Amino acid sequence: MLEIKTLSKYFGGVKAVDNLDLQVERGEIVGLIGPNGSGKSTLVNLVCGVLKPTSGEVIFKGRSMAGQLPSARLKHGIARTFQNIRLFGGLTVWQNLWVARNSTEDIQSQSILRRWLGSSTTLKREIETMLEFSDLADKADVLASNLAFGEQRRLELARAVAAKPQLLLLDEPAAGMNQAEVAELEQRIRSLREQGITILLVEHVMQLVMGVTDRIAVLNFGSKIAEGTPNDVQENAAVQEAYLGHSDQS
Amino acid sequence: MDYYLNLINTIGIHTLLGLSAYLLILTGQVSMAQAGFFGIGAYTAAILTVIFEWSILSAIGAAMLVSGGVAFLVGFPALRVKGLMLVVATVAFSEFARMFFYNVKWRVIRDGAEIGPNGTMGFPEIRYFNDNGWLNWEVTIFLWVFVAIVMALIWWSDKTRIGAVLRAVGEDELAADSTGINVTVVKVAAMTAGGVIAGLAGSLYAHQVTDLDHHTFTVLLATFAIAYPILGGLSNVFGTLIAVLFIQGLLVEGLRFLGDWRMLLFGVLIILAMNIKPLGLFDNQTIRILRNALGVKRQSDSV
Amino acid sequence: MEDFWYEFVEVTQAIADGLLFGSTYALIGIGFTLIFGAMGKLNMAYAAAALGGAYAGLAGFVLIKAPLVLVFGISAAAAAGLGYAIYFACFRFIPVNNHLAALMASVGGLFFIDEVVVHVTRGSPLTFPSMFSDVFFELGPYGIRGDLVFVFIIGLVSTGVLLYILFRTRLGLATRAVAQQDIAARLCGIGVHTTNSVTFTIAGILGGVAGAMTAAAVGVLSPVMTVPLTVKGIIVAVIGGLGSIPGAIIAGLFVGGFENVFLYFRGIDERDMYVVALLFLFLVFRPNGLFGTAITRD
Repeated sequence: MLEIKTLSKYFGGVKAVDNLDLQVERGEIVGLIGPNGSGKSTLVNLVCGVLKPTSGEVIFKGRSMAGQLPSARLKHGIARTFQNIRLFGGLTVWQNLWVARNSTEDIQSQSILRRWLGSSTTLKREIETMLEFSDLADKADVLASNLAFGEQRRLELARAVAAKPQLLLLDEPAAGMNQAEVAELEQRIRSLREQGITILLVEHVMQLVMGVTDRIAVLNFGSKIAEGTPNDVQENAAVQEAYLGHSDQS
Repeated sequence: MDYYLNLINTIGIHTLLGLSAYLLILTGQVSMAQAGFFGIGAYTAAILTVIFEWSILSAIGAAMLVSGGVAFLVGFPALRVKGLMLVVATVAFSEFARMFFYNVKWRVIRDGAEIGPNGTMGFPEIRYFNDNGWLNWEVTIFLWVFVAIVMALIWWSDKTRIGAVLRAVGEDELAADSTGINVTVVKVAAMTAGGVIAGLAGSLYAHQVTDLDHHTFTVLLATFAIAYPILGGLSNVFGTLIAVLFIQGLLVEGLRFLGDWRMLLFGVLIILAMNIKPLGLFDNQTIRILRNALGVKRQSDSV
Repeated sequence: MEDFWYEFVEVTQAIADGLLFGSTYALIGIGFTLIFGAMGKLNMAYAAAALGGAYAGLAGFVLIKAPLVLVFGISAAAAAGLGYAIYFACFRFIPVNNHLAALMASVGGLFFIDEVVVHVTRGSPLTFPSMFSDVFFELGPYGIRGDLVFVFIIGLVSTGVLLYILFRTRLGLATRAVAQQDIAARLCGIGVHTTNSVTFTIAGILGGVAGAMTAAAVGVLSPVMTVPLTVKGIIVAVIGGLGSIPGAIIAGLFVGGFENVFLYFRGIDERDMYVVALLFLFLVFRPNGLFGTAITRD
């Protein structure tokens, strides 16, 4: 479904992403790990269209995404969450979901005017479903900036999922979470896969990565140093070396 | 009585000016172009009623179309320019428009007298209201009907998805783009709408004041235009109206007794206000949007 | 054929005169760019302070018959003082993040200085002494005004002194450090407010010289010069690339020449329109200006 071909991104002399090849098949949950500065977030930005590659291609569903803005890629089916939550703080929870792109069926089935007014009952029902899914139904009218941290993360996820994407990129969704919250997140990710969404998970929190992914790719200094099942990767010498001390974590 | 009617008219026209800037600032575009659109609306409407003898409503409608069209064209290059530079670019546009009007000369003989814009001498004799027997209070009501309609429209659209989308773009363009909002469409649409409203204000102004002088359409006017929504806050349209009442009613008229020293005090007041309460007059959403509009980096800005 | 040659000479003459006069724009542009490079903010009162300094210099001439060199000196000193005052009133206490408040405050400063000048001079233009106004070089078909050359040379010297200060003194080093990373600079013991006020003062000195130069070249000082000079200064700073001194210099000369050519072809009423249109084009197609890099790049 997603094919990253010899993708490179250089910032001046810094090779943030260096000749990376990666594939994600439909229905998979692929993990992407690596020490800080290994290029994970840059990769997410490249796939989503926030950054332009220096060379190489991002191919989604057989089609090159070159030159497409993030909003266009969302239309194709790629959604993402942000590492440092980027909610619309001045809008309520409900409004945050309202302005986001909602399912394609929702959009195709209305006139432009209806869409701008945002008053269709289908849309309202879908937003309510999302709120239920994220346990935020009782916070619908709270300003996003007034939410607790965990709630903000849930809203961030809900907003990305609201677009009914086919590929969802999660950028360190578990950062700052305690164990109970991580377990909850793991559940959510599993139910997203059941809904048919392919997931690329960028994460540091090993509990989550090991628990939920089918396959893991390991980055260091912008290139892939290992790839395989969670067990394979855990035992891989190169990976242990890259992390220097994190190898014991599971 | 006439004095007060004039003041009420001025407040109405400035409210429209402020509202046109309001829409733009919601989307994060601090634009000084409103003075330019205002002037375009004024001259277009005046030329139509004076030289082509159109009726006032058609002239206003056409003026709104023209200034909206120009705003639409300005909207695209404006996308390429961020923050403080947009302020500079729109100042450049307004100055260009003003100088253009300074040079427009289109004199026509009608009924033995010369009429029309006269280049550096301004554009006198915009006598539609007089010639058609409008009373002063009728003009005031006419003007304020438009103000009320525009305020109602903006108020209403703020309750729909439109308002939320505008504010989302104003707060965080990257997040807006990533969640599927077509930022280009939103920003250009806001600029166009702002242009239409400013053009409306201008066409009303031209007929109320009966004499156009390029000195009106300066950066000072553009500064007023953005001052109103910023001072009044971006939560709703009434903030802008109150700001206009305050600035025009209290400051401009109230300080009139100071005569020549007025501008001096005005300057001092601005300096004091900015030092004492640079954000205090603003609510959180205004601050948030302004921060984004002027390109101030937040700590959380690394994506 | 003769007509073409005549036109050609006239146009190049206009360009040459414009280039010489453009050195005044270059200095004002440098002032704007210095402040933007150091603080990331636009000081709208800058040109007003420059002209205010020129007025002080004129006062020196009128009251005590000061020689021209002293007039320039007084202008520079007065503008430096005004520059410091503007920093204190409009930038010192406003939070660093708040660009708009500082902008508005400096607009207030612009109004204030302008009004004071209008009141003191009762709004009427005053003649400014010029040097070498009777000197005229002839170079083939071209005539070169001595006073413009003088103005140009002053511009060169001022720029040279400025660059020396910025790149060869500790003060200049501190200014550049603050421009790059003010928090780190503070941690190193560099007083940010002191450095910034010094930047404003240096920019003020430059402005005072530029104001006196403009007045000398034009022969007249009048409060109506403030806004056009402000606008042109910003245009030059932007076209040259905000924060770039070489950019401001080249852009200043360019705008001067460009403006004069349009004066020749279209007359004074339309001249300014084209300069503004030029700005708009630059902002759209090359928003970083010619050299858009920070003041700190060596």
